[in-house]
Amino acid sequence: MAENNYLLDIQDLKLHFRTTKGTVQAVDGVNFQLKPNQAVVVVGESGCGKTSLAKAVLRLLPRNVEQYSGKVYLDDIETMALEDEDYRKRIRWVKMSLVPQAAMNSLNPVLRVGDQVAEPMMVHYGVKKEEAMQQAIKMFQHVGVPVDFINRYAFELSGGMRQRVALAMSLVTAPALVMLDEPTSALDVLTQANIFNLLKRIKSEMATSFVLITHDIATSSELADRVAVMYAGQIVEVSDAFHFFKEPRHPYSAKLMASVPKLRGTAEPDFITGQPPSLINPPTGCRFAARCPRRFAKCADEPPTVIIGEDLVKCWLYV
Amino acid sequence: MTSEPNESTGVSFKSAASVTLKRVVRFMSFRVLMLLVTIVIGVYTTILIANMGGYVDTIMRNNIRETTIMKVAAMTANKPIAPEARQKMVGDLIRLEEKRLGLDTPFVVRSFRYLFNALKLDLGRAQYMVSDSGSRTVRLILLERLPATLLLMGSSQLILFFSSVFLALMLSRSYGSFWDKLVITLSPTSAAPPWFYGIFFILIFAAIFKILPFGGMVSAPPPETTIGYSLDVLKHLILPASSLIISSFFLSIYTWRTFFLIYSSEDYVDMAKAKGLAPRDIERRYILRPTLPTIITNFSLLVIGLWTGATITETVFLWPGLGRTIYRAIGYYDTAVIVGSTIIFAYLLAFTVFLLDFIYALVDPRVKVGGGNN
Repeated sequence: MAENNYLLDIQDLKLHFRTTKGTVQAVDGVNFQLKPNQAVVVVGESGCGKTSLAKAVLRLLPRNVEQYSGKVYLDDIETMALEDEDYRKRIRWVKMSLVPQAAMNSLNPVLRVGDQVAEPMMVHYGVKKEEAMQQAIKMFQHVGVPVDFINRYAFELSGGMRQRVALAMSLVTAPALVMLDEPTSALDVLTQANIFNLLKRIKSEMATSFVLITHDIATSSELADRVAVMYAGQIVEVSDAFHFFKEPRHPYSAKLMASVPKLRGTAEPDFITGQPPSLINPPTGCRFAARCPRRFAKCADEPPTVIIGEDLVKCWLYV
Repeated sequence: MTSEPNESTGVSFKSAASVTLKRVVRFMSFRVLMLLVTIVIGVYTTILIANMGGYVDTIMRNNIRETTIMKVAAMTANKPIAPEARQKMVGDLIRLEEKRLGLDTPFVVRSFRYLFNALKLDLGRAQYMVSDSGSRTVRLILLERLPATLLLMGSSQLILFFSSVFLALMLSRSYGSFWDKLVITLSPTSAAPPWFYGIFFILIFAAIFKILPFGGMVSAPPPETTIGYSLDVLKHLILPASSLIISSFFLSIYTWRTFFLIYSSEDYVDMAKAKGLAPRDIERRYILRPTLPTIITNFSLLVIGLWTGATITETVFLWPGLGRTIYRAIGYYDTAVIVGSTIIFAYLLAFTVFLLDFIYALVDPRVKVGGGNN
């Protein structure tokens, strides 16, 4: 794998959970690649396994894991093969950091936010406290949090500020890859726009790569270089953002795009009939077939992944 | 931080500090008042209950009458004495004894006298009980037994507390492991009280193997040297302390483990893991630190709980502790001793609760002393 120039290369990643009703196939054979300084947006409905994908890549597993397999190359390191302690020292926050879904609960309520932002510097680079705090102050300035907030506690900050602190925390060690798990879904539109502008600036200034997990397709178009569409635990399409927003390939992507309201359009926002399938016993063949307007006889079989240029789509229509 | 709503915006830092001080002082005085009211109600209720609402007086009167008649009969058995004179003698002796015990004043008056004396920590004199040194002073009766109780309860409860918190924290990090399941399986063993284990321990280690003493606190005659004496006490301590520990051990671990399990599924713990913190740092800064208020509360309540002793376990092991003293006091209807130990417990409890308010504010930045009254 050394010869390619991918930053992140995920191959056949699986994460299954054990529940009383059966095995939940939250992430089921995901493949996708990301080049340095690119931003990929992972979109999909609620419950399609987006957050589980992030957890699988970050190895933040809940207690009821049944299967966790596949290969994840990050900067040419096979992370799945690393021992926990190795993984902690070499990958966590050194190569890859996380901006969590709910920044409200992701900050320790009894530690000052400055300490929490500086912490990874001290843990991974062994720098002294003062030096780490200097770096934290730099990051606070970078993400637009007043520097004197460094001595505050999480409960003394507004939602937007907390999200910025979480962002500062993810950037403090300058990792190559930042995973953002719905970073703005709890914020108002103005704050969302601010944070996305900030992310764009960081991407150009710090040459960071992003994996942005969201269901907000409209806002994500701001940042995206590539778009990955997830459905029922699988990636059904990975496309160049420019192409995707113009003409998505997979019927599910098309429906997803059509469901975004447009300002001056005659077309009503479309919706997809039915529910996403249960991940406990997903249907055989194409998982979207039951809701697909363009299905045909072949959809009963497992669709192949078709590669079109740099893009890929998992659909019988493109064979 | 609360400030007066009509204060001008240009207030200096000094006046903000004085506002804080005023708020804290107001809160403290209110708190002290409330705790005092609680103590008064609690102690007075104890006085009423210990006296059975005054019925103990009747029991005591009958008791005095009976013993006095017997005494006079014995005294005058071989003397020629007129029945009237004997009657008068009985009457006089009864009146004297009732006066000695204070039964000549009505119970209601006496109950308030008990209350005020108790609140002043003037514990008074016992009616029947005598300390080992021969004193009737309640303070001495209680103080004499305190070291034994503190030794037994202190050693067992502190070992129990720290070992179960420590083990529970480890178990909560390895949920579903063999040890975790073992503790859950064994937790119903705590349904049996400590003296139950005590009896078996005596049977096994004292009666069969003969390696540890049956009971008591020190051998007779006691060893002469200090080291010898301490070792001897330690030898006597092993069985009662371990039966106290064993009887709560697994349930205590189970409770704390569940508590830590809830807190270790917080998002910020996951975040700390994602940040690559070492497991020990996660446990210390992200699990123990946020739960410190609860741990401190439990610990301080445990410390004042030492005062009550372990009645039946002390009885089974013939341990000369406070629990047995109070048990005997209840048997004698010796209200002075009962009320004396209650008032000390009440004061300790109130003081701890008062102190905890400030400790919370110190360890948890979300808590402010007297805050939330805006």
